[in-house]
Amino acid sequence: MDNEHSTVEIPTDLYKMIEEKIKKTEVSSVADFIIALLKEKLSIDQSESLSNEDEEKIKERLKALGYMD
Amino acid sequence: MSLDKNTNYIVSGLERSGTSMLMQILHAGGFPMAFDNSTRPPDENNPKGYFELEGGKIINKLMEKKFPFESFRGQFIKITAYGLKFLPPGRYRVIYSERDIEEILDSMEKMARIEDLSRNDTKDVFIKLNNRIKSSILDREDVEVLFVNYNKILENPKDSIQEIHDFFNSPEFSLEKMINCVDQKLYRKRRI
Repeated sequence: MDNEHSTVEIPTDLYKMIEEKIKKTEVSSVADFIIALLKEKLSIDQSESLSNEDEEKIKERLKALGYMD
Repeated sequence: MSLDKNTNYIVSGLERSGTSMLMQILHAGGFPMAFDNSTRPPDENNPKGYFELEGGKIINKLMEKKFPFESFRGQFIKITAYGLKFLPPGRYRVIYSERDIEEILDSMEKMARIEDLSRNDTKDVFIKLNNRIKSSILDREDVEVLFVNYNKILENPKDSIQEIHDFFNSPEFSLEKMINCVDQKLYRKRRI
């Protein structure tokens, strides 16, 4: 990622909620918290869909574990 | 002690990701639960019990749209990750457990008594499943979710369980009992 930044506004009460939450963690700023959360969400969204073959493999394993008939 | 009677509460995650341990923690804290240990009693894979309904076979009922969610409002039930694909519209609060994927696969193979010769393919499929389910529940407006990590709970029960307790923001559930119920001796198949 390059070093250019764009500004985004969030509601003040949300900002304060995040400020309170990160006090108990190693996260150093509200910005860092939001950036990490968004990166995780974006990487999840870009994840592949399950094919029919994938679903059959999952079902086979779940049956072997007793989670499906 | 009570939860909102208009909401279904779910513990989820891939199979062998710590879902039973989470149910145990919540049970210790006094959260209302629905489970039946008689259909799949405790065993070497889950010595303290599975905390499941229907012997763990809820997924078939979900796929057939026959699971009676209305009967379980205000209580925690366990539905493993694949089952969340079939969650009907409603109102849900979900605690979703994650664990090191190699530990999950080791535990699955031990429980199913198999040696997986295409383990890398299995790993890819379950990582995909985990990501798809996480993405789908994050996108749903009727689901509030807290993601927790099995490995972190065992490494630092106090901080992780405090986060679960805070998610409910209710002093009627015992944080101390939740923390005290974590049993490090049951952390097997450790890889990290």
